[in-house]
Amino acid sequence: MPRIGLTAPLCLTLAALLSLAGPTFAKPWWMRNIASNDADFLPPDAAFRVGARMDGNLLKTRWVIADGYYIYRSKIEVRAESPDLMVYPPQLPQGVIKTDPYLGTQEIYTQQVEALIPYSRIDAGAHPIQIKVTYQGCAEAGLCYPPITKVLFPAAAASVAAGSPAPSPRWEFIAIIAGSLAFLFAGLVLRKGRKLDVPA
Amino acid sequence: MKAPGLRHFVAALAVLLGVWAGARMYLDHVVPKNAGVAVPAGVASAPDPGDGVLADAPLPRPVVPVELPDFALNDLSNKPISVSVWRGRSLVINFWATWCAPCRHEVPLLKALATEWAGRGLTVVGIAVDYKDKVQQFADQFKIDYPLLIGEQDALDVAAKFGMPSPAFPFTVFTDRRGRVVALFVGELHKPQVDFILSVVENLNRDKEQLPEARRRIAAGLEALAENQAG
Repeated sequence: MPRIGLTAPLCLTLAALLSLAGPTFAKPWWMRNIASNDADFLPPDAAFRVGARMDGNLLKTRWVIADGYYIYRSKIEVRAESPDLMVYPPQLPQGVIKTDPYLGTQEIYTQQVEALIPYSRIDAGAHPIQIKVTYQGCAEAGLCYPPITKVLFPAAAASVAAGSPAPSPRWEFIAIIAGSLAFLFAGLVLRKGRKLDVPA
Repeated sequence: MKAPGLRHFVAALAVLLGVWAGARMYLDHVVPKNAGVAVPAGVASAPDPGDGVLADAPLPRPVVPVELPDFALNDLSNKPISVSVWRGRSLVINFWATWCAPCRHEVPLLKALATEWAGRGLTVVGIAVDYKDKVQQFADQFKIDYPLLIGEQDALDVAAKFGMPSPAFPFTVFTDRRGRVVALFVGELHKPQVDFILSVVENLNRDKEQLPEARRRIAAGLEALAENQAG
């Protein structure tokens, strides 16, 4: 019987874990030795992710906010974009109070926030629902993004912001095939040479 | 594959591969790709409308110009002012907006800077990407005494000339007296950073060092400042 050490499985596990870690953070600009530190901050669509879906009589719009970033409650606006759609003022949860010596007291959201938007439509579903959301936020480290406006297509299951690419199915496809084959292969390997133990 | 030990090893590898594939799929499609995002437990399992929406590829790298680009914008009295009026002086060009809290925080520092360096060949210029009435109100309230230029799309066009086509605020450009862009700083400025960058600009102005070396020194110096702040 060949001697099997732990090195190979450990290496394999380590490699798998490393591959899961994804791309490493970009170094700050002074470590990359260029004349701009713009990469120290996230692009606005990475700092504030937004999507919407229908849920009964509500349109639910959720923002996922990166660590160290926030959105002003007072800057969130939702308007109807598609014909014959009426949206009512969004219901927003209580935010965190932020006091700024220059801007005064503001209510902000961190991490994530969901707006519940009552709506009505008089087109009997003739048009796909579209809403236009506007929001504005900042980085705690001292950077503010201009107001961002996006047209969303709330769907029952999921939605995709206008102009944003659909998620790539590449990894999902590879993962399903690789996972299935791996377990099939493992079963075949273990089964090989094993005799059926039939009682006499 | 006769040895049972080897069979078990290969099977274990295959299972590991399966686990890896499943985990990879999970992370790619359930966990937000931006590593900076933390979703509280118990909420992420609900359908997240944000999933799959994010275009999280990094923005194209801005190309910061080597030379100060030529531009003109109106001042508060609607008079067009060309940046060339400050030719021969070092410039601190601060892009800001009234709705931006960190921009407001910078104003006392910029005012002090304008006063302190006025006799040393340096001018602070504010470029407000905002509505004129709001800028006027803010300038009056905070008694801003350094030159202010104002614009909306035209100011954004100027920002684009500095390699910032979709800017966030504030950001600040430092040039030497020859009109060379020494640094572009995104985010709120603080005194130690400004003092350090301007000391390097002074060296450039006195021909004590060359631009590439100056940029490297700024990079190293700001790294040290950041470490000190973190410590």
